[in-house]
Amino acid sequence: MESGRPIFIPVILGTTRKGRMSEHVANFMAREIVKQENVGTEVVDIRNIPFPTDDAGESIKHAGFSETAMKADAFVIVAPEYNHGYPGLLKHALDTNLKEYIHKAVGICGVSAGPFGGTRVIENLLPVMRELGLVAIFWDVNFSAVQKAFDENGKLLDEAYVKRAEKFIKELVWMAKVLRYGRENVEI
Amino acid sequence: MTKKRLSCPRCGAEMNNHAEKISYEEVAGGYKPDPVFGGVVEEIHTCPGCGNVESRTAG
Repeated sequence: MESGRPIFIPVILGTTRKGRMSEHVANFMAREIVKQENVGTEVVDIRNIPFPTDDAGESIKHAGFSETAMKADAFVIVAPEYNHGYPGLLKHALDTNLKEYIHKAVGICGVSAGPFGGTRVIENLLPVMRELGLVAIFWDVNFSAVQKAFDENGKLLDEAYVKRAEKFIKELVWMAKVLRYGRENVEI
Repeated sequence: MTKKRLSCPRCGAEMNNHAEKISYEEVAGGYKPDPVFGGVVEEIHTCPGCGNVESRTAG
């Protein structure tokens, strides 16, 4: 039986870099998410969260970000690949919560200027997701040659991403519903 | 003995304990570690009424 509360899936924009194309990806994913019935979203831009850098972890929780994570049933993480890894400030932000993530679903969108669509950043993030208690889905969306996928205003130029995003989101919503039922009804 | 369920501090509903996690950060903060796991065992509780999440040290 499903709860009446809408499923909430924030999109975490995981880079603060100037000129980031990942912003277009995050906004696109948010537009696609709200096409699903009874599913809400918002883009969480880590650039706008003033985390200190002289400490780390749960001791620097940001009330707004933690509340968003608490309300979430699942997360979409938009992660550009920097030198084959994830942006350090994305990890810094993610590490500020723990209980807020446990037994919630996550899907990762990899972003790269090259041909591999962030495959390596996704692979590098998966063990982090597991340790945070998140449950990763087996669909990814790989935005390769991202500068050709969107124009400078964020307009999608390659419509194939609509279908790719839809498959990813449907799997994520399914996992979000199942895990919400488990969190709320199945005792350990 | 079954532990008493948590009441949600936000809406008052009975919460569900769906996970346990070892925390080593809390050991660093001066909490007494569990002798078997080497860290503090934290219970995670979710409210079926409003979705609120709470944690408490297992005991």
